[in-house]
Amino acid sequence: MAPKASTGSGPRSPLTASTKEKQSALQEAKSRELEQEFKTKHLGVLGVLLWVLLLHVAGIYFFTKGFLLTRMVLENKSSCDILPFDEAPGTSVSPSRGSKKGCWHDKTFDKAVVIIIDALRYDFTVPFASMDQDKSVHLFHDNIPVLYETAVNNPSNAFLLPFIADPPTTTLQRLKGLTTGTLPTFIDAGSNFAGTAIDEDNLVAQLHSAGKTLVQLGDDTWQSLFPGYFDANLTHPYDSFNVWDLHTVDNGVNEHLFPLLQLENKSKWDVIFGHYLGVDHAGHRYGPNHAAMAAKLQEMDRVIRKIIASLDDDTLLVVMGDHGMDTKGDHGGESDDEVEAALWMYSKRGVFGRTSQDTLLPPKHARERFVPQIDLVPTLSLLLGMPIPFNNLGSPIEEAFAGASGNDWSNLLAVNRLSAAQIKRYQHAYATARGAGDDEESFALWTAAEEEWKSASKGFTSKSAAVRSSYELYRNYQRHTLEICRALWARFDVPSMLAGVVLLFFGISLLVLYARGMKIDRTELTPSLLSFVGAGTGLGAVTGAALVLFGFTEMSAIDSSALLAAFGSMVGGLFALVKKPANLTLPLPNGMWGWLAVFFTVSQSVGYASNSYTIWEDEILLFFLTTFGVCAGISSMRQKSTTDRVLGVYHSILFVILGRVASFSRLCREEQMPFCRSTYYASSTSSISAPWQLAIPFLVALFLPGVVRSFYAGSKSYEGAATLWIGFAFRLGLLITSLFWTFEGADDGEWLPLRKETLKSVRVFLAQLVLALAFGAGTGAFLYSKPCITVSVNKPTEDPNAPPAPIIAGQQQQPRTTVTILGFGNIYGTRFFFLVVNFALAVILMQKPMGQGAIALLIWQILSLLEILDTNALTLTNSPIGPIVLGLLGSFYFFKTGHQAVLSSIQWETAFIPLSTIKYPWSPLLVILNTFGAQILAAIAVPLTVLWKRPLQTHDRVSQPSNAKVANPATKLLSDVVQAASTHMLYLATINLATTMWAGHLRRHLMLYRIFSPRFMMGATVLGVVDVVLILFAVGGVRWSTISVGEIFGW
Amino acid sequence: MASPTPPSTLTTSGSPSQAPAEKPSSPPVNILPSPLAQVYSYAHPPVLLGLCAWRFEGLVADPVRELLADLPWLAALQIAYVMLCLPPAGTVSAEAGSATDEEKKKTPRSPAGPSLRPGKPGYRRKHSSGKSSWASAWAKLMPAFLSLSLTSLLATPFIAVLLVLFGAPLTTHNAETLLCAAHMALLSATGLVYVHGVDASVWKEVWGISRPADAVWGSALGTGLGAWFGAIPIPLDWDRPWQAFPITILTGAYIGYAVGSLISRTPLLYGKRIQFAPEPAEEGEKKTN
Repeated sequence: MAPKASTGSGPRSPLTASTKEKQSALQEAKSRELEQEFKTKHLGVLGVLLWVLLLHVAGIYFFTKGFLLTRMVLENKSSCDILPFDEAPGTSVSPSRGSKKGCWHDKTFDKAVVIIIDALRYDFTVPFASMDQDKSVHLFHDNIPVLYETAVNNPSNAFLLPFIADPPTTTLQRLKGLTTGTLPTFIDAGSNFAGTAIDEDNLVAQLHSAGKTLVQLGDDTWQSLFPGYFDANLTHPYDSFNVWDLHTVDNGVNEHLFPLLQLENKSKWDVIFGHYLGVDHAGHRYGPNHAAMAAKLQEMDRVIRKIIASLDDDTLLVVMGDHGMDTKGDHGGESDDEVEAALWMYSKRGVFGRTSQDTLLPPKHARERFVPQIDLVPTLSLLLGMPIPFNNLGSPIEEAFAGASGNDWSNLLAVNRLSAAQIKRYQHAYATARGAGDDEESFALWTAAEEEWKSASKGFTSKSAAVRSSYELYRNYQRHTLEICRALWARFDVPSMLAGVVLLFFGISLLVLYARGMKIDRTELTPSLLSFVGAGTGLGAVTGAALVLFGFTEMSAIDSSALLAAFGSMVGGLFALVKKPANLTLPLPNGMWGWLAVFFTVSQSVGYASNSYTIWEDEILLFFLTTFGVCAGISSMRQKSTTDRVLGVYHSILFVILGRVASFSRLCREEQMPFCRSTYYASSTSSISAPWQLAIPFLVALFLPGVVRSFYAGSKSYEGAATLWIGFAFRLGLLITSLFWTFEGADDGEWLPLRKETLKSVRVFLAQLVLALAFGAGTGAFLYSKPCITVSVNKPTEDPNAPPAPIIAGQQQQPRTTVTILGFGNIYGTRFFFLVVNFALAVILMQKPMGQGAIALLIWQILSLLEILDTNALTLTNSPIGPIVLGLLGSFYFFKTGHQAVLSSIQWETAFIPLSTIKYPWSPLLVILNTFGAQILAAIAVPLTVLWKRPLQTHDRVSQPSNAKVANPATKLLSDVVQAASTHMLYLATINLATTMWAGHLRRHLMLYRIFSPRFMMGATVLGVVDVVLILFAVGGVRWSTISVGEIFGW
Repeated sequence: MASPTPPSTLTTSGSPSQAPAEKPSSPPVNILPSPLAQVYSYAHPPVLLGLCAWRFEGLVADPVRELLADLPWLAALQIAYVMLCLPPAGTVSAEAGSATDEEKKKTPRSPAGPSLRPGKPGYRRKHSSGKSSWASAWAKLMPAFLSLSLTSLLATPFIAVLLVLFGAPLTTHNAETLLCAAHMALLSATGLVYVHGVDASVWKEVWGISRPADAVWGSALGTGLGAWFGAIPIPLDWDRPWQAFPITILTGAYIGYAVGSLISRTPLLYGKRIQFAPEPAEEGEKKTN
């Protein structure tokens, strides 16, 4: 390609052939040298960005390790035939088993009625007792006296205890705890994400497999947790969502509960689960201190009295709250009011006891003699003669097994030995699954208890004392294990979280310095930066390992090395950056655009502290984007050149309107209701597209290539490979995509007389074709095609109107040859934009029809933004606004492609667009392409903010100062690209830091699990994905587009 | 090593983004010097704010009815204010010599031409310039009429469209949007049209937010900025009835109007222009609604 390049300088002077040849050889050598320099520096720059990525990963890792509590879900089930003890079943002296008397322990009741009064706080149930600061009786006090009365008047028939929930205090999580006996964590690893059904061993499953007939009435959450376990004819679930309705659910439960309690129906069922929601809804709607709450509690009082009246001797009645409520009547968090529920058990047979006179009366306050909610699981299991669910961590409740006279120590010992053994078995299985050993301290406790138990069963003297102390020891063992598990699963590791936040913060500070605070060409910095970073990393890693070796820290060796390596690399990087103060400039924004960029980033970050701004993020992004568009219009009005002014204003208006049009594509999150209407799917309750939406892919195929073409045509760049790639291949890909989605719609709507399998295989083929076009052929086109130009050589003619494009060669005196190059004005930009087109095709394929329209609008808006940047002279000045607005666009269109910052909005099914089964690693990558398609496209467009309409620069074209050595213009381009890329990273890293900090800070907030935690996870994932995309594709791709230009025009 | 940016880079892309101050544009506008005008010009913004505060409960209860009912009053107040306190369009150039009380103003800018392109009022006024009181009333009435009609016919739809683009609902709440736009238009555009007519060069400066600060421009800009900031409390989950769509925006606009009109007359700001690009610029001054 060099000969072509030399036409620029070749005919300039009449030289002899040999000198000419020599010069051309020299030129070629120079070119090769410059190209080599560009390639080396390009790799170096990628290295720097990789370091930034690793810092982000380290920060996120350390925060996540302390923040996202995870627990493995074991599939093991307890079985009736196998006792939980290590020794063979025969040697066990445990009481008789067999279906008649119960599995592991003699059963006390045949049947049970379990009533859950949602949000029944403990202080609702006991007589008002004034605490020091609490002065007056409230409306919610003393309205449901039946529980307390029975427990006081007939202690052997009933007992009432505070019943403490493990947060999060949401009904779904509570029902899990109340049936499995385990502690909730944010991620129950191993359980499937999509479904909510419980796969762990649980009480309902045990009852079901024992052949009991189960009935569920009320709150339909039970149905999603235990699908298929309840008797279909007798069960009546009700929608739990409408918190404004206080009575429908409760009336429904009453309507179906009382007939079942009649004598003639008693044989139809074994266990009834009735779930009343009125109290909870009254709390949500009015708060606890309201007449409606008082009325509701009185109604519950009557209901319980009525149930008692129709109860028989063999039926156990349990009434409990699954959680409490705070002073406003809401729940979900960890405050005392939210976790303090009440538990009351009742039987006509008088089997309950108190082991001491002190415990005769129910506690006055919820913090005395409380039981954890998971204690219900072994208690209910053993009372009904069921095995204790495998994962249970609760202990049998004393009152239920102490006997009417309160001194049945051997029974207490037996049940506690059973549950302790089961806990030990579970702990062992969990430790094995985790690849860790058993905890030593709890092992010692267990052994002590076993010794005492042996002496109690052998010795005949002082038997009761030994039994009692053995019981206490088993009890200790159980509570100790519970504490260990709490520490493991339910406690945040704040130092690790802090380490993560500090890492992220310093990472951002360095990035600010690198992206906005350097005066010199960033590629010049690379060698020293990378070597200092390398040295710092090595030193840090070694120090970290040494600290562990000499026992200065309790962290694992890998963590400690990684943490110190990250800090070491940052110290090294900082040193390399500030080594020459002359290179530094204050990284403060200059001018309105800089401040606007900072304002967008910072105000959004501050907003994540509020759940409202997190919920309404999509609307806020539209507001910001429109603000940018209006500012762009204003700035355009100030341009001197009429062309710039008119074009700038036109594109600003276009930009704003496109954004507003895109905003009509919405998928509302639950918290946005009722102020939001979903339009993404056919209706708010479906996840398929409406028939009219199937027209969108065709419209996209029809118009999008034309839109792209018009932006190319503006600089006469719709030449060369562009006509083929955009005019034909892109359009073809989009057309196949629309066919795909038509078939998909046909499958959903069953309009085509084709078999499902045929449709599916046709669809998969089409989708794979599009992906092959986008990533296979597209990559080829991107790597090897020439720039989008047409070169025409005009022999000297008396051309009166000179061509508008620049004239490359020519001499004044001689009859000159004019070389017209069409598309010269935007060589770098149009060439690089191929990459955006390739990814756009793939991303569009992966979106639902509505999302395809949104992505098309995104492409249009990106192009419009590039024109705005160009007309306002923001491309060559390295203004931060371009990369930041691309960040806003990416986030905005994330919401416009049917996503929200909640786990449930992930469109898992898109993994099956080009595949029929799950294949690693492709399926996760496809879901990422669907979920973060908008952010990926925006990231790929980042280099365009400095490449769009960038004038061609080669070393012989730059008017060089005579003394300085010839700089390589390609490295200046590279430096600009890296600056833009790191600015884009900076935006996402700031968002990530903000969401991380707020999630960590608000870890006790009741909206943590619904709002802050998912937003943190989204921010972290987006940062990681975009970092990788920027390194691999955006900045990586600049190598080929620049080389392609260099091959034609020289370096 | 440290290669400075090649000069060609700077020159090829040409125009620096700095446009204003290339030619002398219309100077900042002064309040009329009569004592009544001076006093009332200070009283007017608080009067509007007072009105806003007084009717706030009604606004929250039924925005559409309240806004509609207040519209004529606001229009009357605004017209009274501009006629009383501001020099009507054209007087600055065409009537510099003849008018009695405007002459203390600074001498007008030299290019007198474009300001009165559709300025029939100005020419007519010349014909009847004999009867001074009637003439001056007429000279004020026509621009006032012009300003009212342009405000309702052009500015209101324009602001309504802008509100929708910023995220106001398109399919619902149309009456609220339109009325909110009408109020904002009365606040921002009445004065501008009354003082500047349809002077193209002034309006070019308005679109470029590059007018020198004065009471009229300050209040218009303040209205826009106030409305922008007024949108901030809407998403918060405080469950207050006043968080409904047009209320906070309109309140912000009224506050912005009052603040803008008062502070832009202070010597600190008077006559200054918002700088956009290279010179350091203050953060708060870039957004408009």
